[in-house]
Amino acid sequence: MSLTNTNMAETVKKQFCFKLKANIDSFSSLVFIQLLAVVFSSFSGVATSGMSSEDIQINVNYYSADLVIPFTFIWAFTTAITITTRPYRNHDFTFISNRLSSSLSNILFLAAATILGSITALLAGNLLKLMMYFRLESLVFSGTTSLKEVLIGIFVTFLYVFLFSAVGYFVGTLVQLNKLFSVLIPVLFFSSLFFGSFILGFSFLTDLFQFYGEETVLSIFIMKTLVTVAVFFIASTSIWNQLEVRR
Amino acid sequence: MKIIECAGLTKIYGRKKALDQMTFSIEENKITGLIGRNGAGKTTLLKILAGFMKETSGEIKVFSERPFNSLNVSANSVFVDDQMAFPQAIPLGEILEVARDFYPNWDHSFALRLFDYFSFDPKDYHKRLSKGKTSTFNMIIGLASHAPLTLFDEPTTGMDASVRKDFYRVLLKDYIAYPRTMILSSHHLDEMEDLLEDVLLIKNGKKHMHMPISDLKEWAIGIKGPATVVLDLINGRDVIYKNEIGIKTLYAVVKNDLSQSVLNQVQVAGLEISSVRSSDLCVYLNNDTKGGIDDVFN
Repeated sequence: MSLTNTNMAETVKKQFCFKLKANIDSFSSLVFIQLLAVVFSSFSGVATSGMSSEDIQINVNYYSADLVIPFTFIWAFTTAITITTRPYRNHDFTFISNRLSSSLSNILFLAAATILGSITALLAGNLLKLMMYFRLESLVFSGTTSLKEVLIGIFVTFLYVFLFSAVGYFVGTLVQLNKLFSVLIPVLFFSSLFFGSFILGFSFLTDLFQFYGEETVLSIFIMKTLVTVAVFFIASTSIWNQLEVRR
Repeated sequence: MKIIECAGLTKIYGRKKALDQMTFSIEENKITGLIGRNGAGKTTLLKILAGFMKETSGEIKVFSERPFNSLNVSANSVFVDDQMAFPQAIPLGEILEVARDFYPNWDHSFALRLFDYFSFDPKDYHKRLSKGKTSTFNMIIGLASHAPLTLFDEPTTGMDASVRKDFYRVLLKDYIAYPRTMILSSHHLDEMEDLLEDVLLIKNGKKHMHMPISDLKEWAIGIKGPATVVLDLINGRDVIYKNEIGIKTLYAVVKNDLSQSVLNQVQVAGLEISSVRSSDLCVYLNNDTKGGIDDVFN
């Protein structure tokens, strides 16, 4: 039987299409978690203000679907961890794969899922407006956003969500390298949350939040996130390149 | 052409040597049986060949490439065992289509015919299959992929007798139509005997024997007769197996290198000489003690 030569790009493409089909559950969990966030947002407003004169009393409740975005972060983080687990790794090796093609197709899958997640996250605001229209008997006013703003919003959300998925992917890979990390990472995370400022004199997480979350120049923000994402994915890929497949 | 070449292949897990200095090569388009006890290193060897695991030391070449992380080895080989992982979200019928997209030599109509014959439901899921059905489905993937190197690790796990028979038959027919290199590891050597061309016997991670099955069939002989006479005859020879049958009757298996004069002596003494079935011989060769389980009671 004659041998077939395969090329990397072709294999990665096939694996990517396969993963869109195989990981369909991650898309249903995306829908679920974003709906949940919208429902939560509809229960309570983010701010209220009111004024009254002798005859008129005005109460303004502000509602926002911003909650959808942190929920999407959590979804991206867990989805990325999920695809690093053993059954998901093994699926690739049932068919044709090496570790590099497996990693590349995983990254492509996460990018695709993240794009979808960011678009739906930004559109979730419309769902909230619709829900409030039916729920409230009072007047609903909504802020308008230009198309340009929506597009930038989607893009920036994408970068944030992708950042979370890169971190999740790295964490998942570390756990595959050694199960100890599944204890170590949460311990480090929460201890830095509570004790970081006592021991070190500064809070690591606050600094991180400021570094990524409070950047106002778009181009610098893009640079920061893309470089970080690349570092995490390259690190994960090189770790996975050494691991064995044991099913 | 040699498909597989191993030299000094060693694999160590922690403190245990799973494979110890294995050196062998396998020719193109041969069906080789990989025989060994539980834990002898069969699965480890197959996983290294498939590129799943990394050798600790030594050299391994599959299609003249190191299999670990080789995309070419992956594309030209298939590794089938009962642990094969399939995504839970994809039903069986679609899994066949996924396999068609991946494997370059995939024979879809053959896969569908087997799928029908073993009455699988295309809407069913892999996770829900019984043990025997899982093995049967994995076998379909393994055969229909027509991979130049096909590795089966205990493919008949859980299959009932009639499915096992069907499996051996379909494997042979498909091999004749599309000759390729196959390695089968199994405990059922007696069932596969007619299928195999070569036998690779491994014991405690070491290569014990690698020869054509026809040679293996003549490799040893069994001698049966009064215990004293037999003992006298086998004295000084390498005894592969020894078992008392009834009172004062002994059955012994020795290497088939008796000279003509010894054979004459055997006939004069009225001892029974028989050939040893290769499956039995493999069991004897694999045992660490000469008397088998009976030694536990002595």
